[in-house]
Amino acid sequence: MIDGTINGTNPAMLLLCLAFLVPLAVTVAGNIRPRAVPSVAIAFTAIAFLTVLWTYTQPDVVFDREWAPTFGYRFTIALDGLAREYALLATGIGLAVVIYASVYIPLHLHHGHRSDAELTRFFGFLLLFMAAMVGLVMAQDMILIFIFWDITAIASFYLIGYDRDEPESRNSAMMALLVTGVTAIFVLIGILILRREIGTFSLPEIVAQPGTSDVMGVGIALICLGALAKSAQVPFHFWLPKAMAAPTPVSAYLHSAAMVAAGVFLIGRFGPLVDRYGWITDALLVIGVASMVIGGILALTRDVFKQVLAYSTISQYGYIVAMYGLGGHYGVAGVSLYVLAHALAKSALFLTAGSVTESTGAKNLSEVGGLFRSQPVLAIASAASAAGMIGLPATLGFFKDELFFAAGSARGTQYAVLTVAGAALTFTYISRFWIAIFLGKPKGDAKPLPMRLLWPIGVLGAITVIGGIWTVPFTEIAQQAASVIANRTEAVHVAYHLDTRAENIMALATWAIGIVLLLTRRFWWEPASAVARLGERVGPERICRSILLGISQLSDALHRFEVRDLRSRVATILLPAGVLVGLAVIVTPNSDAFEVGSIGRGDIPLITIIVATALSGIAVTIPRDHLRLAITLSCVGFSLCVIYAFMGAPDVALVAVLVETFFSLIFLGMLLLMPRRILRYESRPRAKGRHTRRDIILASIAGAMAFVVAWGTLSRTSQNTQMIDAHAALTPLAHGKAVVTVVLADFRGFDTMGEITVIAITLLGILSLIRSGRMR
Amino acid sequence: MTAPMSSSSATGPRTTVVMRSAVRILLIPTFLIAIATMLKGYADTGDGFSAGVIAALGIAIQGVAFGPDEFERLPLVRFAPAGTFVGLLIALSLAFFPVFWGYPVMTQFPLAGKHVIHFGTLELITAVLFDVSVFLVVFGFGVGVVSTIARAQRRLERTREREERARLAARAKRRARGR
Repeated sequence: MIDGTINGTNPAMLLLCLAFLVPLAVTVAGNIRPRAVPSVAIAFTAIAFLTVLWTYTQPDVVFDREWAPTFGYRFTIALDGLAREYALLATGIGLAVVIYASVYIPLHLHHGHRSDAELTRFFGFLLLFMAAMVGLVMAQDMILIFIFWDITAIASFYLIGYDRDEPESRNSAMMALLVTGVTAIFVLIGILILRREIGTFSLPEIVAQPGTSDVMGVGIALICLGALAKSAQVPFHFWLPKAMAAPTPVSAYLHSAAMVAAGVFLIGRFGPLVDRYGWITDALLVIGVASMVIGGILALTRDVFKQVLAYSTISQYGYIVAMYGLGGHYGVAGVSLYVLAHALAKSALFLTAGSVTESTGAKNLSEVGGLFRSQPVLAIASAASAAGMIGLPATLGFFKDELFFAAGSARGTQYAVLTVAGAALTFTYISRFWIAIFLGKPKGDAKPLPMRLLWPIGVLGAITVIGGIWTVPFTEIAQQAASVIANRTEAVHVAYHLDTRAENIMALATWAIGIVLLLTRRFWWEPASAVARLGERVGPERICRSILLGISQLSDALHRFEVRDLRSRVATILLPAGVLVGLAVIVTPNSDAFEVGSIGRGDIPLITIIVATALSGIAVTIPRDHLRLAITLSCVGFSLCVIYAFMGAPDVALVAVLVETFFSLIFLGMLLLMPRRILRYESRPRAKGRHTRRDIILASIAGAMAFVVAWGTLSRTSQNTQMIDAHAALTPLAHGKAVVTVVLADFRGFDTMGEITVIAITLLGILSLIRSGRMR
Repeated sequence: MTAPMSSSSATGPRTTVVMRSAVRILLIPTFLIAIATMLKGYADTGDGFSAGVIAALGIAIQGVAFGPDEFERLPLVRFAPAGTFVGLLIALSLAFFPVFWGYPVMTQFPLAGKHVIHFGTLELITAVLFDVSVFLVVFGFGVGVVSTIARAQRRLERTREREERARLAARAKRRARGR
C-alpha cells in the first residue's frame, strides 16, 4: 500500500468526497426544482460509478489523518480490493437502480397522489445510503466503520418506510431499524473489546497482531452477530421479508447489493481475524446452512413476487455465510465472486418484479402468467438474470456455483451434499418465479412499459451473461477482494471443463434435483407450507414482537403513572434520583466522610438561622393555597441567603437575595396567569389516602439521600484551597480588588459567557412560549 | 373599582397613590444603586449580574404598582429585552476578538502589569465592559420576563372581561325574551 497522494489527489478520499457529494447535490437540486432530482441523481451516481472504475487503474492507497487523538481515533480510509469490489457493487447497482427509479418513483408517487417534492427524500436517502456504503467499505478505523455502519441503518429506515402514510411500511421500517440498530450495538461492543485487547482502533494493526485470545474471540463473534443481522441471517432474517413494504427500487438496491451485502462485507473485513477462531467459522457454517435451507423452503411457498425474492436473498446470503464457514481457498474466492454474481442477478430480478407489477398491477405469482408474449424484452432480460441466479452455463452464476461446490467438496462429502441441496432449492424457487410470470396462460392484460423500466434489467442481465463468457474482469475483481479477506494473495481461476470432475457432477445433480422438485410440486407443497406456518407461529419474529410489545407496555405504564398528576411527575424524578444517589453513596469508599464537627459558642447565630431555614422548609408542606405556598417557599430562600451571609460569602448572599426577590415576584405573576378554576381544584382539601403515604415515603428517601450527600460533601471541605489562593494572588494582576468579580469576569470569563448565553436562550424560550405559544 | 383610591385604568391594580408615588420616586435611586454595584464591582462586593437584577427589580416594581398598561408605556420596558442580545453580542466580541490578534479566547485588556486609567474606583479595563454586557443580558432578561407576564395577564383580563360582557348580554337577552 502506498501512503500519501498521487498527483495531489488521494483516490480514496476523492471517491469518498464524490460519493457524499451525490446526496448533497440531490438535496440541493430538490430544493430548487424537485422535478430535476432524478436527472441530477443519475448524473452524479454515474460520476461516482466511473470514479470507482477509475480506481481500478490506481494502486492501493491509504488516506490517514489524525481525528480525535485523545481517544485514539484516526480518520483512515483505504482503497483495497475488498473496498473496490463492494464500492463497485454499491455504485454500479446503484446506478442501474437510480435509472430505473427515475421513472418508477414518479409513477409510484403519482399512483399514491403524492407530490413530486417527495422525490428528494427518496433519492436523497438512497444515495446517502450509497455514500455510507462507499465509506463503510473503505474505512480502516473501527470507529469509522461503526459510524458508516450506523448511517446505512438510518438511511435504510427512511427508505423502507418511504410510504410513510401506510402503517405496514412504518412498522417494517421500525422492525428493520430495531434489528439492525440493536445488533449494531453488538458490533460496537465487539469493536471496544478488540480495542481493549490490542489497544488500537486501527483494523490493519489488529490484523497484523498474531495470536488469539478468548476475549478477542467474543469480540469478533459479536461483530459477526451484527453482520449476520444486517445480512438477514437466521434467526434475524424476519426483518427482510417485512422490508418488502418498501418501493421496489429500494428492495432491488438494499436487499440485493447494498444493505445485506454490508453484513457479509463486515465479516470479510474482519476475515483474517474470523479465520483464527474455529468455533466462529463453525457457527457461521451452521447459521449459513440454516439460513440457506429455511430461506429456500420459505421461498418455495411464497406467492408475492417480492417475498419470493426476499426469502431467496436470505437463502443466497446463507450460501455466502456458509462459504465463510467452510473457509479454505475456494470458500474465500467463492464469497467474492458470489456477492458479485448474486447482486447483479438479484437486483435485476427485483426490478423485474417491479416492472411486472407496474405493467399488470399484479403482486402475486398466482395473478400473472404468460407475460412472455406481451413483454418479450422483459422476459429475455430477466431470463438471463434468472439463469445467472441458478447457475446455468454461459452465465457468471455458473462459476459462483462452481466455487461453492468446490468449497463444499473440499471440506467433505456431507458438506458437498448440503451445497447441492441448497443450490437445488435455488434452482427450484427461481425457476418457479420466472416460469409463473412468463410462461403459461396469460392472465389479465399487460400495459407496455417505459424503456427505462426495461433496459436497466437488460444491462444487468447482459453483464451476467458476459461474465459467463469473458470471466477475466470478474475473477480479477474477486481475486483482489479475496486476497484482502484471506490476508494473503488468493488466485481465483474459473473455466469450463468438459470432464467428470466433482463440481460438474454436482452441478448436473443440482439441475436434475431442481427439475424433479419443479415437477413434483404436489408432494412437497404441503410440508413446505407447514414449515412456513410453524415459523409464523413460533418463529423469531413472534418472539421479537412480544418483546417489543412488553417494552412498549412497560413504557406506557410508566408514562401513565408519570403524567397522572404533578405529584407523580415529581415522584418519578425524586425516587430514581434518591435511589441512584444512595447507590453511589454506598459504592463510593468514604469511610472518613461523615464527621460531626464541634460546635462552639460563636456558631449559635448560624445554628439559629439554619434551624429557621429548616422550620420554613417544613412549613412549606402545610399551606394548601398557592399564594401562601409561594410566599413560604421564598421564606426558605431568604433564610438560605442569610446563611450565605453568615458563612462570609457576601457576593453569593447579595445575588441570592436579589434572585430570590425576583423569582418570588415572577412566581406570583405566574399564579395570576393560571386559570382560577385549576388553582381552586388543586388547592381543595384532600382526603388522606395512600397517595399521601406514598408521597411521604418518596420525599423521605429523596430527602435522606440529599442529606447524606450534603453531609459527606461538607465533611470534606477546605481540602483544596490552592485554587482559591492562586486566584486571590492573581487578582491584583488583573487590576481588580474583589476576587469573586475578577474570577467571574476574567479568570473564568468563558464560563460566565456560557451562562449569559443560557440566560439569553431562556428569554427567547419564555418569549416564544408565552407570547406566541400555548398561553396566547 | 372596589377600593376607594384605585387607579383610573380599567385593568390597573388596586394600589394606593402613596405606593405609586413612592415607586415612581424610587426608580432613579434603584438605577443609581445598580450602576454603582456594577462599576465598583471590581473593588468591592457586587458585579454585573447583581446590578442587572437590581435594575430589573426596579422596573418590575413599577409594573406591580401601575399595572400592565402603564408598565408597557415605559420606554425601558420596550427596549430592555433587545438589550439581552446586545449584551450577548458585546460579550461574544470581547471573548473572540482577541483571537484575531493572536491572544487566547477571552483575554482581558490591558494585560497584567500594564497601566490602567482610573476614574476613582472605576477602572477602564475590558473586564468591566464584559461586566456591563452581563448587566445588559440580566437586565434584559428580567424586564423581558416581567413584561411578558404583564402582557399575558392583560390579555387574560381582556378575555375575561369579554366573556363577562357576553354572559351579561346573554342574560339580558334571555330576560327580554322571558318578558
